[in-house]
Amino acid sequence: MTATPELQTASAPSMPEPRFRISRYRRLAWIGSGLACLLSLIGLGLSWLNPQIHSPLKPGLDFTGGTQIQIERQCPIGSCSPIAGPDVQRRLAALALPEDGGDAAPNISSAAVQVLDQGQSMVLRLPALRPAQATAVIQDLNEAFGPLNQSGTAVDTIGPTLGAQLLQGSVISLVVSFAAIAAYITFRYDRIFALLALVALGHDVLITCGLFAWLGLLQGIEVDSLFAVSLITVAGYSVTDTVVVFDRIREQKTSLAGLPLTEQVDVAVNATLTRSLYTSLTTVLPLLGLIFFGGSSLFWFAIALTTGIVVGSWSSIGVAPTLLPLLARR
Amino acid sequence: MARQQGWLALILALAIAAGALLMSFPLQLGLDLRGGSQLTLQVLPAGAIKKVEKEQLEAVKDVLERRINGLGVAESTLQTVGDDQLVLQLPGEQDPSRAAKVLGTTALLEFRAQRAGTEREMQGLLRLKRQAEAVLNQRRARVTASVQGQPEPPKASFAAEDLAKALSGLGISVPEGATETEQLELLLDAVNSKVVALYEPAQLTGRDLTGAGRQQQQTGSGWDVTLSFNREGGEKFAALTQGIAGTERLLGIVLDGRSISEASVGPQFKAAGITGGAASITGNFTPDEARDLEVQLRGGSLPLPVKVVEQRSIGATLGAENVRTSLVAALSGLALVAVFMVVVYRLPGIVAVLALSLYALFNLALYALIPVTLTLPGIAGFILSVGMAVDANVLIFERVKEELREGNTLIRSIDTGFSLAFSSIIDGHVTGLISCAALFALGTGLVKGFAVTLAIGLLLSLFTALTCSRTLLRLLMSYPALRRSTYFLPAAQLPSSTAP
Repeated sequence: MTATPELQTASAPSMPEPRFRISRYRRLAWIGSGLACLLSLIGLGLSWLNPQIHSPLKPGLDFTGGTQIQIERQCPIGSCSPIAGPDVQRRLAALALPEDGGDAAPNISSAAVQVLDQGQSMVLRLPALRPAQATAVIQDLNEAFGPLNQSGTAVDTIGPTLGAQLLQGSVISLVVSFAAIAAYITFRYDRIFALLALVALGHDVLITCGLFAWLGLLQGIEVDSLFAVSLITVAGYSVTDTVVVFDRIREQKTSLAGLPLTEQVDVAVNATLTRSLYTSLTTVLPLLGLIFFGGSSLFWFAIALTTGIVVGSWSSIGVAPTLLPLLARR
Repeated sequence: MARQQGWLALILALAIAAGALLMSFPLQLGLDLRGGSQLTLQVLPAGAIKKVEKEQLEAVKDVLERRINGLGVAESTLQTVGDDQLVLQLPGEQDPSRAAKVLGTTALLEFRAQRAGTEREMQGLLRLKRQAEAVLNQRRARVTASVQGQPEPPKASFAAEDLAKALSGLGISVPEGATETEQLELLLDAVNSKVVALYEPAQLTGRDLTGAGRQQQQTGSGWDVTLSFNREGGEKFAALTQGIAGTERLLGIVLDGRSISEASVGPQFKAAGITGGAASITGNFTPDEARDLEVQLRGGSLPLPVKVVEQRSIGATLGAENVRTSLVAALSGLALVAVFMVVVYRLPGIVAVLALSLYALFNLALYALIPVTLTLPGIAGFILSVGMAVDANVLIFERVKEELREGNTLIRSIDTGFSLAFSSIIDGHVTGLISCAALFALGTGLVKGFAVTLAIGLLLSLFTALTCSRTLLRLLMSYPALRRSTYFLPAAQLPSSTAP
């Protein structure tokens, strides 16, 4: 029924020798994380200095306001010559939009045109249009490049004031959720744990933002309200991940009281290592489904979440616990 | 044991109920999944009102609802959002420009008498107006004719120097490079606002209307909009027309500050004015224009102006494509997780997959029950919550493995595993729910959809991980054949002597 006496004595000092000692690699971990944070800051800074972006992340339609029109042609493959971007721009420049509600129609000659599917569909980015004006643009394109597949058309318009509201709302909810999570952690754990959980959170959010700053600089990827959503989700997840390790340290405080704190951390990280990796993996697996099969609308959202969760898993193993002995000494 | 059977019965009953619920209440799909249009309207403060209050928002909503019903779009919904916004959803409608136009105008109808002593000025303005309208109408007819391949009617024009003189006489500066049509439209706008300035303040407004209709003109191809007034309105209209009957002064019908019709009142009405409480606006409307004006007048004027600040339209094919891709994504994600769990955790892995299937079933049933309108971000929230639901199982099973490695018996390890993992699971779920609350407060429809499904998922996963997994695992453990530690852990990791 029970283990043999030999085994009992072997495992009696309730601390088995940890197979993996995070403290041995802590310098490496710090350098890795420090470099990643530095690169992220450089990305955010470069993006800020870039005259075309002029903000740490490239804001998308949601935040700048504007109209995005997606159209799809309806013609058998190969029977229509592909659309050329400059042709579309010339066509739009010549189009007189109907005036609406007393406001002058916006100038659409500087529309950004993105041609997709070998010239069979395209995405236009325009200043914010009224519904009647958007319809006029689609009708005009239908005459020039049609017939268009009417049920394959999508129009998204965000008014400039609404864009500013959305940006403000996103920033406020980011700040509020970080503060609420910090308050909860401080309530549940002592102050050093809470501080470190927040350091890990900042680390994860910074690196996720940094990746998108670089993507914005190099690939023109924009951030939208879904990106703000992914940051908030990552923040919640990052804290959860870190807390699992801290929960273990707290639990074994009495049984390992004689050991130095660095050892205690090693034991806790070792014991929770598989869990940390597996929980991240089980969250990333469904997200992989989204990345590979979820279509374009949710692609970058899933990328942001996956990045945040992977980095969060790393920081809960390599960053937050290894910093604990440094802070607790004082 | 009895308690456990109680749980099992509860879970089975819930599963059957969820299945039945899904059969009878189909899931509601958002516009991004079924195609349609969504307009967000911002109510703007105007005049004495500096901030939009709740009652005013409701008043605007009432008027807009009547207008939408008049338009006859099936299943349209209008909801207030926040303090000063309304969201209109038009399923299946891909071109919301007409709805936007009908909803966006204030439709303040006024009947105003011309001020005495302005007859000559009015005549000049109206001559300009008729001339400009004639040219514009002809031009439109030419465009229609050329599209339909009919012979073009002769080209009418406004002599360039006359037009320039008229424009400068009204004090309008013409922007560089404006076409003749644009100049004519500018001229019309200016004339219409000048005309309005020649009227006395409104004696009668659309508030006294009881009905509106439309009819085709006896002569000509245009449409008229007919009006009927209540008693008070009828009396006011009679008094108004009596006052100007037989004079050269005109009766102006002004809609949203633009003069849409100017009528003279014949001397035969000198005695009593036009009685009977009915009138018609002869504005040479197209059938659609007449119908839209009728809808607006019936619904009453908007107490405050509104502006379209957001439009999202998506075609049905794109919606169907979104449903397909997100289904594939969700199913492949679930399959990946299931394979992972069974490979890593063996018997409890199978239990976790069962619990996960129950979790998905309960989730969908709740969406149908509440009801939650599923959107693309909502599906992403669901997919992410699947990952988090599995997390709880991972935390528990890792604990169980640890206990087994330390040489504890199987049943004891399972019990300890569940109770020790509890604290971490609660922390994870609470922080997750805090994030959801912040997201929900952020407010826009897209983000809310994500927050709602993620929050439902988190709450449910507490139930499925702690109750369903546990009950199912205990049930399996009641079969002695399954009570083997190697079903939980590779033999190599077990202490040399194992529990039965």
